[in-house]
Amino acid sequence: MSTVKKTNVARDPHIRTVRTFKRFTLGQRWEHTFLFLSITVLALTGLPQKYRATSWSQTILATPERVELLQTIHHIAAILLGVIVVYHLGVIIYQLTRRSLPGDMLPTGKDVQDAWHMLQYLLYIKKDKPKFGKYNFEQKVTYWFIFFAIGILGVSGLIIWFPEFFTRFLPGGVIPASKLAHSTEAVTLVIFIVIWHFYHVHLERLNLSIFTGTLNEEDMTTYHQLEYKRILGKAEPGDKKE
Amino acid sequence: MPKLRFPFTLRTILLAGSFILLVSILLVTTARAESPAQETESYCLSCHSDPDLSLTLPSGESLSLFIDPAKLQTSLHSPLGIECEACHTNISTYPHPEIVYQSKRELARSYYQACQKCHTDQYDKTQDSMHAHVAEAGNQNAPVCTDCHGSHYVTKPDEPRATVSQTCGHCHTDVYDAYKQSIHGDALINTDNPDVPVCTDCHGVHSIQDPRTSQFRVAEPELCAGCHANATLMGKYGLSADVYNLYKTSWHGVDVAVYEAKWPTIWHDTAVCSDCHDIHNILPADNPASTVNPANLLATCQKCHPGVGPNWTGAWTGHYKISLERTPFIYYVDVFYSSLAPAILWLSAIYVVLQIIRNTVARARRSL
Repeated sequence: MSTVKKTNVARDPHIRTVRTFKRFTLGQRWEHTFLFLSITVLALTGLPQKYRATSWSQTILATPERVELLQTIHHIAAILLGVIVVYHLGVIIYQLTRRSLPGDMLPTGKDVQDAWHMLQYLLYIKKDKPKFGKYNFEQKVTYWFIFFAIGILGVSGLIIWFPEFFTRFLPGGVIPASKLAHSTEAVTLVIFIVIWHFYHVHLERLNLSIFTGTLNEEDMTTYHQLEYKRILGKAEPGDKKE
Repeated sequence: MPKLRFPFTLRTILLAGSFILLVSILLVTTARAESPAQETESYCLSCHSDPDLSLTLPSGESLSLFIDPAKLQTSLHSPLGIECEACHTNISTYPHPEIVYQSKRELARSYYQACQKCHTDQYDKTQDSMHAHVAEAGNQNAPVCTDCHGSHYVTKPDEPRATVSQTCGHCHTDVYDAYKQSIHGDALINTDNPDVPVCTDCHGVHSIQDPRTSQFRVAEPELCAGCHANATLMGKYGLSADVYNLYKTSWHGVDVAVYEAKWPTIWHDTAVCSDCHDIHNILPADNPASTVNPANLLATCQKCHPGVGPNWTGAWTGHYKISLERTPFIYYVDVFYSSLAPAILWLSAIYVVLQIIRNTVARARRSL
């Protein structure tokens, strides 16, 4: 998990050493990459199907073969996303059985306090931002929003992919409900990622830790003070300053 | 050589001849237009009112030459002064020119062209019709004007309206039998209902097209919508006029609309009205024999979705708007996505905007 990366560079005044803190494992970084790819492909191939009555969609879906091709790509991307979900849940279950689930992502009472604090900060009632741990409430909202959205999209998507199978044991009403839920939820998710996630990782600051796996000391002290303290508190005294 | 001189040159003769010819043509035409009466009828009937008058054609068929004077008087043409010679243009006196037709059918197919003279529009339309195409392909039985309208005893084709469908039923017996059983046919034949469609309301009058094409198929929902989306008309019978609008937004309807707009010539199996409601034998849903009766609905769905279970029909919202009473599950899903989802998105958008304002102000202050 989060450990300090030791930097063994000779003390040269011209070299500024930057301490980096491990944030994501290689597995988590690959998960994000595949998640990003599959969701992008799913959105790009799904939207023309949702808006089939519009002319831009009909330009893309110029022939019946294209519609079929687009559906096939959508299904392949959905299978990829399914694999990611199974892997993700598998890791969680494995960690649960080993009693080693970090639990940093679970919502806590502090998140509610942080959100309230942040709101006061944004409205100039408080001068300082709240101090965050490894994942702040914004990041937890991102995770859980996408978590449940994928859950809804996955279930509803499977129902409209295999309606004959599902109506063997579910009432028929789940088909139109799934159709409604699937396309609306997908659009909601895309809008949410664009306004919420893109803002936090691109505009507020460029946060590439999900690709590099690490955060530098400055980001840690600015945005994840509590996590920074926790790591350093546990770390050996010699590591405190470099 | 002395030249031969004539008091009239050849040119003068020709000119005078053409002039006389022209005047006579004009006179004849004027006479016809002003008073169409040719007064040939009584002359012709002096022989043709004999019920035994007939001749044998080379095909061996006996062609009756009898004209019933009483029936002729009740036809449309005769009282208007449009008499025998109007159509039998080649027969003006006795003895008649020799009959050149081999069979009765050949005679009919030749004589109907006389209709074109007055009924040009209708005649032209039939030339593009399914019936004309079938005739071109060699089917001599394909109908011509007189097969539907009659030859000598032409009457109004739609008085009463049921006559139209009965006329089509002379050849299309199976279809007519099915139609007679339907809600449309029953109301037409038994109550002379003015609102239900007769054959020509859906198939066209003279320019009847092949209804088995993909183009006809994808245009069919609009055809039915011609009446079934009319709120006033449907209100009279307690029917919903939303059926078409709701169909258009359904899985089937969107699919069909795309095919109609983009690929009308490509056959597509997505359900149109008649796939579920049947084509000619359309019955109200509460009729036990109806294909959309709850008892028969599953079998109807299974025509396209083989092997689906009994729950399947629950997927069909029955041309009704999503409502709490009828479809509670879909209703709640709809409520969730039309209220909660936008609320969450608005909240996150407002939050991000506040962040941007706060951070921009903070950055500006720091740089001061």
